[in-house]
Amino acid sequence: MVSEKRPTLGSVMVIGGCGFLGHHVVRVLLRDYNCSVSVIDLRCTRNRRPESDNVAYHEADITDAAKVESILSKTKPDVVIHTASPPAQSNDSVSHALFKKVNVDGTAAVVKACQQTGVKALVYTSSASVMSDNASDLINADERWPMIRGSQQTEYYSETKAAAEELVLAANRADESPNLLTCAIRPSGIMGEGDTMVLYHLINILRQGRSGVQVGDNDNLFDFTYVENVAHGHLLAARALLLTAATKTIPLDMEKVDGEAFLITNDSPVYFWDFARSVWAAAGSPHGTEHVRVLPRSVGMVLGYLSECFFWAINKPPTFNRQRIVYSCMTRYYDISKAKKRLGYMPLVSLDEGVKRSVKWFLEQQEASKKA
Amino acid sequence: MGVAQKAFYYLVHPNQLRSIIQWKVWHEPVHRRDTEDETETEKKCFEYLDLTSRSFAAVIKELNPELLMPICLFYLVLRGLDTIEDDMTIDIKEKEPLLRNFHVNMEQDGWTFDKNGPNEKDRDLLVGFDNVITELKKVKKPYFEIIKDITIKMGNGMADYAVNAEHNINGVNTIEEYELYCHYVAGLVGEGLTRLFVESELANPQLLVRADLTESMGQMLQKTNIIRDVHEDWVDKRRFWPKEIWSQYVDNWDDMFAPENREKALQCSSHMVLNALKHADECLFYMAGIRDQSVFNFVAIPQSMAMATLELVFRNPAVFERNVKITKGDACQLMIESTQNLRIVCDVFRKYVRRIHKKNDPRDPNFLAISTQCGKIEQFIESIFPTQDPKKIEAAQPQAQPSMDKGEAFMLVSAVLATLILIGLMMVGLAWFMGAHMDKFFLRLDEILGDSMRKPTATPILGRDEL
Repeated sequence: MVSEKRPTLGSVMVIGGCGFLGHHVVRVLLRDYNCSVSVIDLRCTRNRRPESDNVAYHEADITDAAKVESILSKTKPDVVIHTASPPAQSNDSVSHALFKKVNVDGTAAVVKACQQTGVKALVYTSSASVMSDNASDLINADERWPMIRGSQQTEYYSETKAAAEELVLAANRADESPNLLTCAIRPSGIMGEGDTMVLYHLINILRQGRSGVQVGDNDNLFDFTYVENVAHGHLLAARALLLTAATKTIPLDMEKVDGEAFLITNDSPVYFWDFARSVWAAAGSPHGTEHVRVLPRSVGMVLGYLSECFFWAINKPPTFNRQRIVYSCMTRYYDISKAKKRLGYMPLVSLDEGVKRSVKWFLEQQEASKKA
Repeated sequence: MGVAQKAFYYLVHPNQLRSIIQWKVWHEPVHRRDTEDETETEKKCFEYLDLTSRSFAAVIKELNPELLMPICLFYLVLRGLDTIEDDMTIDIKEKEPLLRNFHVNMEQDGWTFDKNGPNEKDRDLLVGFDNVITELKKVKKPYFEIIKDITIKMGNGMADYAVNAEHNINGVNTIEEYELYCHYVAGLVGEGLTRLFVESELANPQLLVRADLTESMGQMLQKTNIIRDVHEDWVDKRRFWPKEIWSQYVDNWDDMFAPENREKALQCSSHMVLNALKHADECLFYMAGIRDQSVFNFVAIPQSMAMATLELVFRNPAVFERNVKITKGDACQLMIESTQNLRIVCDVFRKYVRRIHKKNDPRDPNFLAISTQCGKIEQFIESIFPTQDPKKIEAAQPQAQPSMDKGEAFMLVSAVLATLILIGLMMVGLAWFMGAHMDKFFLRLDEILGDSMRKPTATPILGRDEL
């Protein structure tokens, strides 16, 4: 039987298991591992597995520490995969409060609950953006690069993800509960089925007929990661933590997984606009690159600044700003040797295949919602 | 090209001419062949080298004296084998044992071969092959053994292909067969060369352990030639592009050359380029193991040329109509850049990788795969020559300037403008005070513009208060 060859993970709790990444974690767990799966999410109606998969769904707000703890003490998981996080879309004070509440306070509650209920392994979904100041390039960066914190970090979302990652890693073999092992996964540019950010924005640009403008020279490499590969990375980490827990000795620094953060990408950095064009081509764009006009970065920055001044004058948040120009001209890709060596990670699905699958899903969704 | 045409070409492409002159005038070989003490047979061997090789003769002659003769002879032996294999006038019954026993013949004093057809361009080499044999006897034993070993493998490989009727009729089918073919014609040569480099201690012995790196060197060169020569081979009724790839684009091989299938053919060629590009990073890695400048030049020049050729053939419809090749100026520029160090060769690779990605077409089914392959090569270069240092980034962090918010920026710009206006007004006022007739200026303006301004009541009011 195939299932006998599958690695075991015991009882696994996926927090945020109905979310974009979380439901893929559940799917890969059921497909590739021998384990029982439960899920905690704010609402468990969307992305729900069929009854036959025997996934136990629990509705709870992770900022409600008592509730989380009571669920964990009932389900007694060996492994907790914590993927819950609000979408990083907006940057106003309301969403700031939400980021802080869910990412920092929520994660603190999860860590505490894990410590109280004898969980063996906790894997936390951090973000590769914790290393970015959203302006400077990150060229083949690895985990040795510093986190950008406090006033240096212009995206509050990344600030809260970094704070949460620190909480999780500090809980590794902590005095309160020396048997809990933790690690963090830092994915970069997640996209896939269920994605409402990267794909949504790109396909919108195509639909609005704006695919003919390219800002910058398009020599900047960027890491996008297909969601199934990110899920795979999480589960390899969980497996490695369980194996570490089972051995009595403390692993050597060079092979340590517990207490560590791991960058996870598709291991194929791609030129920013090439990625956009591959999405557009998959979504049916008939264009090559003949119609593309190149807007130099400097001109884009001036336009972005003027737009910001205008929106500042009329006291509204700008839709087009310098940050968007910076992002599309920024080099930001990572060296994932650490995950390859210590977790045995390799992407399961190529970027090309990932884009095709994701865009297909997106178009089907749109078709379905049109009919409804 | 005629002389006038050439002159005109260089007039409008001065960079090309510059590269050629630069190479011819300034290139200083690491080692110069010492022709004074050369024996007759040695001289003869170098004559054959010039005769048989267009691209390799120059780099071979600049090699470290330790390897100069062994590699020259290695080249001539393989060229001899090739001349027998290529000759369709020799009957297969005679050809097969000749190929398989070439390593025996090359140890027989005075052995020559004159049964090549009159049109075989390198037949002179085999007619005077006794000169090569004489020199081979003088080569150090370990070098000779390497040359002999590769000759055995190569001869048998060629013989296998020669008797393989399926291959001769249908050409290469699978990608695996394609790569095996490239292994026999180029990978083996690479193996021999690497062994010679390591034996002479001019390369890192690790290169013998990582045989895949050597293989990549040969694969990339051979695949590039096969892609570039597709039209010439088609005319000669030969095909090396694997069916496994081209059948995804056209039904019959000949359809590739029909003008109405040009877009399909281009997509197929980009598939072939993608397949060749997967070796690029390993080639750079290989070159990092070379310890001698002349050997480095010897291996780097063909590799840079291959990279430039891949860029030239990528999405280039001319490939299916005629022979294309890089210009002489580009070749000289590449030779200048490939005879320095790995870092500069990496820059060359990156330059051509970026050009390839600029030519990439989103409608091509291989679009994203090519783009990610280009990214992979760039990432590999970063891994050997990193741009960023995490320690420096960490150290630089606290000094980063806090950015200015919009309100502040607005105030700053307003303040600058207000100051400029004030100074301007003060200067005008001062000029008026000292007696400048500004009213004349405004009256004249009024005359030109018409009656719109009757009375000049301009700026000077400012100054009056101070009186």
